[in-house]
Amino acid sequence: MKHPIRDFFKHVLLTILAVIWLIPILWLFVTAFSGYKGINTAHFFPDSWSLDNFKQILIRPDSVVQYGVWFKNTLIIAIFSCLISTIFVVMVSYAMSAMRFNGRKQIMSGSIILNMFPGPLLMIAIYFILKSLGLTNSHLGMIIVYSAGSGLGFLIVKGFMDTIPASLREAARLEGASEAKIFTSVVVPLCKPIIVYQIISSFLIPWGDFVFAKLMLNSGISTDWTVAIGLYNMLNKSLINKYFSVFCAGGLLISIPISILFVLMQKCYVEGVTGGAVKG
Amino acid sequence: MNEQNYRKGGYFRDLGRALVKGDIWVKLSTLLMGAGYFARKQIINGILMTLVEVVFIVLCVFYAAPNLAKFGTLGTVQLEQTFDPVTMQSTMNDYDNSFLILLNSVIALFIIVVFVLFYIHNIKTVYTLQVRKEKGLHINSFSEDLRALTNEKFHITLLTLPAIGVILMNILPILVLVAVAFTNYDQNHMPPNALFTWVGFRNFKNLFTNSITVTFGYAFKKVLGWTLIWAVFATATTFIGGILLAKLINSKTTKWPKFWRTLFIIAIAVPQFVTLLLVRNFFADNGIVNTICTNIGLTGFLQNIGLVSKSLTYIPFLTSPGWAKFTIIIINIWVGIPYQMLIATGVLMNIPEDQIESAKIDGASPFQIFWKITMPYILFIQGPALITDFVKNINNFNVIYLLTQDVFVTKDQLLANSNAKEVDLLVTWLFRLTNEYYNYKMASVIGIIVFIICAVFTLLSFTRLIRGNREEDFR
Repeated sequence: MKHPIRDFFKHVLLTILAVIWLIPILWLFVTAFSGYKGINTAHFFPDSWSLDNFKQILIRPDSVVQYGVWFKNTLIIAIFSCLISTIFVVMVSYAMSAMRFNGRKQIMSGSIILNMFPGPLLMIAIYFILKSLGLTNSHLGMIIVYSAGSGLGFLIVKGFMDTIPASLREAARLEGASEAKIFTSVVVPLCKPIIVYQIISSFLIPWGDFVFAKLMLNSGISTDWTVAIGLYNMLNKSLINKYFSVFCAGGLLISIPISILFVLMQKCYVEGVTGGAVKG
Repeated sequence: MNEQNYRKGGYFRDLGRALVKGDIWVKLSTLLMGAGYFARKQIINGILMTLVEVVFIVLCVFYAAPNLAKFGTLGTVQLEQTFDPVTMQSTMNDYDNSFLILLNSVIALFIIVVFVLFYIHNIKTVYTLQVRKEKGLHINSFSEDLRALTNEKFHITLLTLPAIGVILMNILPILVLVAVAFTNYDQNHMPPNALFTWVGFRNFKNLFTNSITVTFGYAFKKVLGWTLIWAVFATATTFIGGILLAKLINSKTTKWPKFWRTLFIIAIAVPQFVTLLLVRNFFADNGIVNTICTNIGLTGFLQNIGLVSKSLTYIPFLTSPGWAKFTIIIINIWVGIPYQMLIATGVLMNIPEDQIESAKIDGASPFQIFWKITMPYILFIQGPALITDFVKNINNFNVIYLLTQDVFVTKDQLLANSNAKEVDLLVTWLFRLTNEYYNYKMASVIGIIVFIICAVFTLLSFTRLIRGNREEDFR
């Protein structure tokens, strides 16, 4: 049974929806290339086109725009916190998935509850603890914020490890491999897609996070900031009319690598979850 | 198998048995933690345990005791500066910092609890060693104990560092948060210049009080109400929308499903703070959307039917309470549907085809199939995730904060007195209380309330989360 008319409308509907979803992105794109610095409230498309916003961001840093420095800061924070969180998550996942020890179930239930405890609530307390350690306004502090508690987010990787047959580990054990050896040479290589997923998702956190960074890097020195706070600052009431297009250019520049990573991450996730490891 | 037998029985019964049946060395271990190891020739273990004990005692004397001594009052000596005219420098007295006393006391109490657990565990271990020796079983050397950490005790190696991180970032902050809720820590009691102290349940009472000076009761009711309404709408709209969109894209007659999916993914791949800040300017009072609405006459139409006040020349998308709530939910649909679409796509792919086929043969309409088979199946699979989403939306800081901060100003004086706004969620209110008004005591109380709300919903879902996974399938 074919319904050519219904199929046609289906595609029209999809097109309309896609346009709705892409309008803000398109606006970001065209405003980034605008020759006018503030917000153009009269027209959707800019009156004049220019690459000056990108030049300002990449070549001419001023007291407000320190994009290169922000990018470097965020990159450093992202790399270290991603390394630490991935290692933590994989370690915890293995312990929870492959090993059987006293209190395992209790630890798992406790972690799930703790993990549901929303970050913003604990921010004040974390802020004060790090402040008393002298770690606010430092990138080390940010790395700790993003990675220290990451061990709780083990559910996805553990779920993947659960699909690796125990017989594989059993076989390795019979050949005299220690638990540590099984972990590093049998299980971790099999978990590649889900580990890549984990790496990307923890790498993306510092790029998208705004709240913690604003709270922790509050000195007002713009060279300390991450990209998110720097861009937010441009939309300050006193700055927005001079920097809105620059904000769009900055947002666009950061979005390109992030989107690519995001799409890659989705792919790894689907591969990991649907493909599974070596089943059976 | 013998070892299994010692594990049986309750936690305290084991301890009792160890203390009663243990020999002189086990009993000595209650004083000197290494004693039991020395007796079984585990010299290094013995030294390490004794070292732990010594470190703990030193910590107690020099760290825990001075802090815990002031824990009852949270400090009594106010900061005073005396100016010395001779050296032209001001000197400070040896003042008390209430917050540091609180924080250090919490840490000290935590260390003491952990040590006590460790201490009890140690006595049991020492007793196990005694039993093994009596039965002539092998007793590990130190290097064998170390090797066990890469083998049957590998989980200890794996979990130690992550656990320390979680203690630092989750458990200690929660304890501090709870403690602060019972103090008067606010802008008038800011260490180091001023002290704060315990006030019992006064802050909790304040949260439910409505009087001329305290309007927290009023604000709390309003903010809680909107938080729940928001969470229900945000969860339901994106969930249903995501399923419908996934159905539309994955339907067999749709061409290029991958292409459509990618288009929607692009919208969410851009960092949220960029899109949200952008959209907020999109919908600003003098923004582009308003220009278009005025040009096509929509603003005038809405004024005529009374949805926009006559005194305005624009649609207050993000500046009047009613409109702002509506716009926020709409924008959240925009943000949330692609995510839900991705998840729903995965679920739809696994739907048992045979049920749908047999329903078709029985003459069910596509509509019936959707509501009678697809939806129940998705709800069954996604039920726990739905509750998780609901909890996440209760705490959806980003959407609300980025859309309304610096844009929305409340005109409700009673709300403003409590530093709240109509569009605030409990978390954004809490954040503003701390970040702008330094009202830590009330923020902590609100934090505890939010935790209780979230915990209830979480408990509903997590029993299924644990039971529902396929943990033992392959074992």
